[in-house]
Amino acid sequence: MNLVVWCVTGLLFAAGLAMTVLRRQLLAMLLGIELMVAAVNVALVHQACLLSDAQALAAVLLILAIAAAEAVVGLSLILRAFRSDRGIEAGGFTELHG
Amino acid sequence: MTPAQIPLEAWLLFAAPVSAILFGFFVMRPLAPEKTHWPILLSCVIVTIASFRLALPVLMTGQSFDKNIWQWAVAGDWGVAFGLRVDGPGMAVLTMVAFVGSLIHFYAASYMKGDPGFSRFFLVFHLFFLAMIGLLTSNNYVQLYLFWELVGLASYLLVGFWFHKESARKAALKAFLTNRVGDFGFLLALLFILSIFKTSHFNQIYFLVDKGFHLEALPVIGVLLLWAACAKSAQFPLYFWLPDAMEGPTPTSALMHAATMVTAGVFLLVRSWPLISAVEWLPHLIAAIGAFTAVGAALIACTKKDLKRILAYSTVSHLGLMMLALGLNQVGTAVFHLFTHGFFKATLFLCAGNIAHALHQSTANVDEVGGFRKAMPWTYACFLLAALSLAGVWPFAGFFSKDAILDAAWHHGGVYAFVGPLISTLSAFYIFRMFFLTFHGSRQEQKGLSAHPHEAGFGQVAPVLLLAIGALVVGPLRHGVTRLMFFGFQGLPTGWPGVSGTLNLPGEVFLPEFNWAVFALGTGMAALGAAGAYYLTMVDAGWDWRWRGGTVERVFESDFGWKKVVDAVVRGVVGFARFVGGVLDKTWWDGLIEGGASSARALSERLSFLSAGRLNDSLWWMAAGAALLLGRALR
Amino acid sequence: MSPLTSLWVLPLVGAAACLVVGRFGRTAARATALAFSVAHLALSLFVLKPFLASGGVGIVAVGGDRLAFGVSYLLAADGFSLSLIGLTAFLNLICILASWKLEVGSAYWANFLGLSSALCGVFLARDLFLFYVFWEATLIPMFFIIGLWGSSNRRHAAVKFFLFTFAGSVFMLLALLALVSAHHAATGIWTWDLHALIGTPMGAVGPWIFAGLLVGFGVKIPVVPLHTWLPDAHTEAPAAGSVMLAGVMLKMGLYGLIRVAFPLFPATAEAWAPWLAGLAALNAVYGALCAMAQTDLKRLIAYSSIAHLGFCLLGVLSRTSQGLTGGGLQMINHGLTTGALFLMVGFLYERSHKRGLSDFGGLAVRTPWLAFFFGFSTLASIGLPGLNGFVGEFMCLSGIAKSSVPLLAVPFFAVAGVIGVTLAAAYALPAYQAVFWAPEGEGSVSAHVPDLDAREKTILWVLSGLMLWIGLAPQAWLTLLEPSLRSLVR
Repeated sequence: MNLVVWCVTGLLFAAGLAMTVLRRQLLAMLLGIELMVAAVNVALVHQACLLSDAQALAAVLLILAIAAAEAVVGLSLILRAFRSDRGIEAGGFTELHG
Repeated sequence: MTPAQIPLEAWLLFAAPVSAILFGFFVMRPLAPEKTHWPILLSCVIVTIASFRLALPVLMTGQSFDKNIWQWAVAGDWGVAFGLRVDGPGMAVLTMVAFVGSLIHFYAASYMKGDPGFSRFFLVFHLFFLAMIGLLTSNNYVQLYLFWELVGLASYLLVGFWFHKESARKAALKAFLTNRVGDFGFLLALLFILSIFKTSHFNQIYFLVDKGFHLEALPVIGVLLLWAACAKSAQFPLYFWLPDAMEGPTPTSALMHAATMVTAGVFLLVRSWPLISAVEWLPHLIAAIGAFTAVGAALIACTKKDLKRILAYSTVSHLGLMMLALGLNQVGTAVFHLFTHGFFKATLFLCAGNIAHALHQSTANVDEVGGFRKAMPWTYACFLLAALSLAGVWPFAGFFSKDAILDAAWHHGGVYAFVGPLISTLSAFYIFRMFFLTFHGSRQEQKGLSAHPHEAGFGQVAPVLLLAIGALVVGPLRHGVTRLMFFGFQGLPTGWPGVSGTLNLPGEVFLPEFNWAVFALGTGMAALGAAGAYYLTMVDAGWDWRWRGGTVERVFESDFGWKKVVDAVVRGVVGFARFVGGVLDKTWWDGLIEGGASSARALSERLSFLSAGRLNDSLWWMAAGAALLLGRALR
Repeated sequence: MSPLTSLWVLPLVGAAACLVVGRFGRTAARATALAFSVAHLALSLFVLKPFLASGGVGIVAVGGDRLAFGVSYLLAADGFSLSLIGLTAFLNLICILASWKLEVGSAYWANFLGLSSALCGVFLARDLFLFYVFWEATLIPMFFIIGLWGSSNRRHAAVKFFLFTFAGSVFMLLALLALVSAHHAATGIWTWDLHALIGTPMGAVGPWIFAGLLVGFGVKIPVVPLHTWLPDAHTEAPAAGSVMLAGVMLKMGLYGLIRVAFPLFPATAEAWAPWLAGLAALNAVYGALCAMAQTDLKRLIAYSSIAHLGFCLLGVLSRTSQGLTGGGLQMINHGLTTGALFLMVGFLYERSHKRGLSDFGGLAVRTPWLAFFFGFSTLASIGLPGLNGFVGEFMCLSGIAKSSVPLLAVPFFAVAGVIGVTLAAAYALPAYQAVFWAPEGEGSVSAHVPDLDAREKTILWVLSGLMLWIGLAPQAWLTLLEPSLRSLVR
């Protein structure tokens, strides 16, 4: 694979990971997840073109659909959180503490 | 002999007391507690008649029997059976125990009247009686141990009879625990006997020892049995429970701690005589302990103020005499002294009981009595008879037994020849000191006459009178009692090593009948003692109060320091137990384990930051984990 | 259904029935419990009867095909295990009768019946996996009994009891797993059947397996370094719970030693016997010394249990017939005697909510029957001859004094045992005196203690009668125990 595409994909993925892990706001975490998905998509599309692999393209379409569904669920959860007293900060959810 | 051939009297020996106790507990106690003594007194009469009827054939013809009645416990090749043994030594002591015991039961019916625990007293008293009968008719060591402990239990319950008094509770505990310490020896000896001889029955052991088997184990077994006997028969070093046991009601002191229970130790040694005499040095040890105790206790008895305690130390001293006699190889003499001692000591105790009863107390002090001879003439007469018997004056019974011991000691020579007359002097001194102070004294320190005592009732005087007469007349029975000893070691050929020819007891050295020198010496020393007592109580009447209140008195109070030693040992053991139970177990060891548990919990609390519920931290961990797995996968 | 299976299924069914019937009220629940426990006792006696006649040598087995991993459903019984089952059923009935007036829900009765079932399973199992399952199953009802119906510190005591004994059993599980794999390595067969496993060549791992079993059983006996769960558990448990705990559960450890550990490792057992006997002697003396220092009645009796089981262990280790049979008999004796004592302390606690020695006094006058029975049981406990305690202790000590195992007959162990017997009076009698004979002090609660009622008196008469019977004529009981015990150690 092209070095440029690797770098771009890697950078996108890293940025998305950084956003997810480092940000406190739930919406930002969701965006980070979407970025990671996008990075994976790019890599898969490039792979499909390079190797003329139709399965990769099918995977991309599948991922796009699932990402959309996941965004819907995530956004509706964030909307619920926003409407309630808990807020949209990650600090509001600590039930899993030990 | 089948169980069916065992004579009826032997069955009655047990059946009467057992049924009396059961009937008394289940029927009389709930319905008519103040009449609990009726079935029990009846049982006493039956037992006395039965014991005499059993003893007569043994005496006349030597016909004794030893029969196993049932298998108690059998496991593999180990087994213990219980049975009945009617033989010379047993019958000799049993007749005395039954007769004296029955009279004391009758006495107690009057003495204990009105006490709220009357019913309980009689039931436990009779339980003791039953246990003593069982002890004397056991045919093996395990059964003897069973009744030995039962006797100790009865003693505990009776010494602690008035348990609301702290002194009584402490005394009961002291009595039981000291006897338990002695039983350490007995139990260990039992274990050794069973493992070495493979049987605990007297017959079989006598036979094996006679044949010379296992002689190397006998020293250890002998010393252990001696240790047990020292506890039960109140010899040094385990005698100190007996004076405190005077906290019990006077019938208890008379029966158990004078006539019967304390003689169980001597009886154990008599039963074990073939084993003990087979060890060369063991009789010497017994004699030494006996002599030492006899002299020490007699000295202390001269200084006591409480009437019952004088008699208690006197008992310790006379038990020492019995041990001395045993140690000098005079088994018959020892048992005969046991026999006569039962009579005169019981009389003395019951007289002390009458005096205390007259003062409406449980015991009396020389400060509270004085000049009682006019007010209590019967008690006075009985006391005098018994005192003369104790001092060993002819023709009283005590003379015959004591003279025989003095005789043996004289012949043995050495220090014992000196000890014998010394004991005569001291015995006469302390008993006549008690006599003069109680019945003749009229010092201003004594409040006796102002207490207006009155003679005890018939129920308390008649038994004492009978016992006192017994203390006078049973002297001639010496031949019979000594003869009975021959019929105790069935299974042994006559002519035990060391003695040949005449029909002799194992180890018994046959002495000529009457030694004038010893007679004169004994009677003379007794007269000296009595004269000394008269002088120091009647002539120089204040002496008894003058010498007190200094170091000398403190030395005597602490039994020449031995009581302090015992207290220190007890405190040490209790302190050690407190340390083990409190500090070692709870604080250190359990603390260690609980500390482990709480440090596990602390660790978990420390590490709980790892799962604090923060979302970002979880995501970090997820990312790290994923990276690792990816790294692994790509390798 | 084979009678052996029904011995452990019947109480379990009873437990379920109690829970169901409990919806209809408390009386219904306790009546159901009583009915099932009576039936269980009757059943166990019925199974026991042929053994009394034949001398207890026959073994009745229920076999089953192997399930998975070599585990199979195998039960077996002989005189020894049936006597322990009889003890379990009897004490269970006594516990239910003694708790009759308590205000407790149906879960209380269900737990007791469940405990009874698991205990019978332990004594019946021949397959070692089944043995382990039942072994652990006994912990669950006991945990609830202590934790829910105990006294003030019950939570801590229940958790401590569970974790401590569970930890010990983990060692046992490891040992059993190692054993089964060693057997597989040697013969190629996976089996957990005890009889098949006896005689497996084990090589170097043998002593480790034995050690693991020892830890597992030793925690339950309990052997002195591993005993600290016992005082807390006994003190905080309700009266009936202490009775079952002291009466039967402590015997599981010794049972495991006799049934599992010693037959599997005879040589190692003999080699280690002096060390184990040292621990047993330590039990006897240490337990007595600790008991002397206690001021809480229940704790005192708990420590005295440690001392008594030291004697049992001495007897069991001696490998003589009188020692083993004495140990077996002493297990039953201890169940009866300590059970009676705990029951009576329970009666005191129920009425006054106190169990300190200085909280009472003067009870001999206020409650003469309680004084009588308590004195009787105390005397049995300290080994007064004529009562049951003496027979067992005497036979155990006799066994150890005459043991053929090398080094064991050294008098040291017998002397230590006798010291233990001597000290027993030193802790028991002062306690009795403080509660019953001493006058009531300030703050004494004796005025709140009425005397025993008819139900309690009946229970205690039965127990005391048994103590006297075993003490005076133990032979009948010994014929039940002796043949099976002898065959286990030859």
